[in-house]
Amino acid sequence: MKVTVIRSGGFAGVQRRGESDSGKDPLLARLVDRVDLTSVPPPGRIPDQFLYDIDIDGDTATVGEAQLNGPLRELVHHVLGRAG
Amino acid sequence: MRCTIVPPHMLEHVAHDPAADPALRAMARRSLVLSAAQRVERRVGPVAPSPPTEDFVPKRTINDAANQETLPGRTVRAEGAPATGDRVVDQAYEWLGVTFDFFEAAYRRDSIDGAGLPMISTVHYGRDYDNAFWNGEQMVYGDGDGVLFTAFTGPLDVTGHELTHGVTQYTAALEYFGQSGALNESASDVFGSLIKQWHLGQTADQADWLIGQGLLAEGVNGVALRSMKEPGTAYDDPRLGKDPQPGHMDDYVDTYRDNGGVHINSGIPNRAFHLAATTLGGNAWEKAGRVWYDTLTGGKLSPTIDFAGFAAATVATATGLYGADAAETTAVRNAWTGVGVSL
Repeated sequence: MKVTVIRSGGFAGVQRRGESDSGKDPLLARLVDRVDLTSVPPPGRIPDQFLYDIDIDGDTATVGEAQLNGPLRELVHHVLGRAG
Repeated sequence: MRCTIVPPHMLEHVAHDPAADPALRAMARRSLVLSAAQRVERRVGPVAPSPPTEDFVPKRTINDAANQETLPGRTVRAEGAPATGDRVVDQAYEWLGVTFDFFEAAYRRDSIDGAGLPMISTVHYGRDYDNAFWNGEQMVYGDGDGVLFTAFTGPLDVTGHELTHGVTQYTAALEYFGQSGALNESASDVFGSLIKQWHLGQTADQADWLIGQGLLAEGVNGVALRSMKEPGTAYDDPRLGKDPQPGHMDDYVDTYRDNGGVHINSGIPNRAFHLAATTLGGNAWEKAGRVWYDTLTGGKLSPTIDFAGFAAATVATATGLYGADAAETTAVRNAWTGVGVSL
């Protein structure tokens, strides 16, 4: 299992990218298990908010930071690391 | 009256004394935030269309999120309250006042909505949070991580940028996606920079035309986050990457990320504004700024307008203000063709 997160937007407009593979990251599968990408609301268009593009083995969703809560938030910050 | 030599506590008193002369009150408020090093001579925006008959008064509230990400947080400074001693809180309060005073002095605008809307900011948002944003109702600021970014309350143009998102929301309501989104971003950079120029008393040729100067932490290779004069040159750092902004339509970036590249392609209208302002010279908020402000707030723009439509609208505004053959209108027209936007 492979997860990629790309953060874009924000006042600075600086893009950040993180990825993780369950082969090297034992925590990843447990975090992904709790996430349902199909239930994520559209990101909205809030000026200068961060946007997160999340890819879980080809399933994708874009999430605005205002909607980034619970298990999805844990997963995103885990994959992006300190850059989150 | 030389406000620069009046003790701050007196200015505080005058600024909030309802019995004081309105013009004096406004002047006192402005003077409170001017350091002698930044400006020795007062300069009041000279472009008000008519003598002010009413002194607009800001209604500021600064909230503290205490490193959580819950809004609005606890109120720590309301309008008229003394400084708290928290540098971040007090800076946010002062920059809101400068931004408010700029819109009043330059364009006779009463706050974000033109009707005295209270200005609300939350500071100390999140932990190591590298961002500031406008959520439709208020401004939000992080303290930065200290490694790449300093506190977002530091630079005046960040506050100007965020508050202008509110102005745009109440006026042109430019949709925050694609070219209309890049125009929304550019409007925030344009007025963010103009507020700083007005505060520092700088003419177009004296201004740095940078956005977020002072926001990059020590050791980061860059001068700011964006350059309106030379988009794409603000930073080039192994950790941040390189400033991705184009300054010409030939280099327009097609992307779905960042709401269709709103923070990227804003470099094109940003540079158009810089070209117009520097061609005209003098105080950029007076002529180029007036053209952009009237265009943004004039009620004639479609929310999904593209660069070409906005460019045509600025030319129409300039024509209305100065005449079809005026130097101002020619400068605006040439600015857009200079960045590859056809008219």
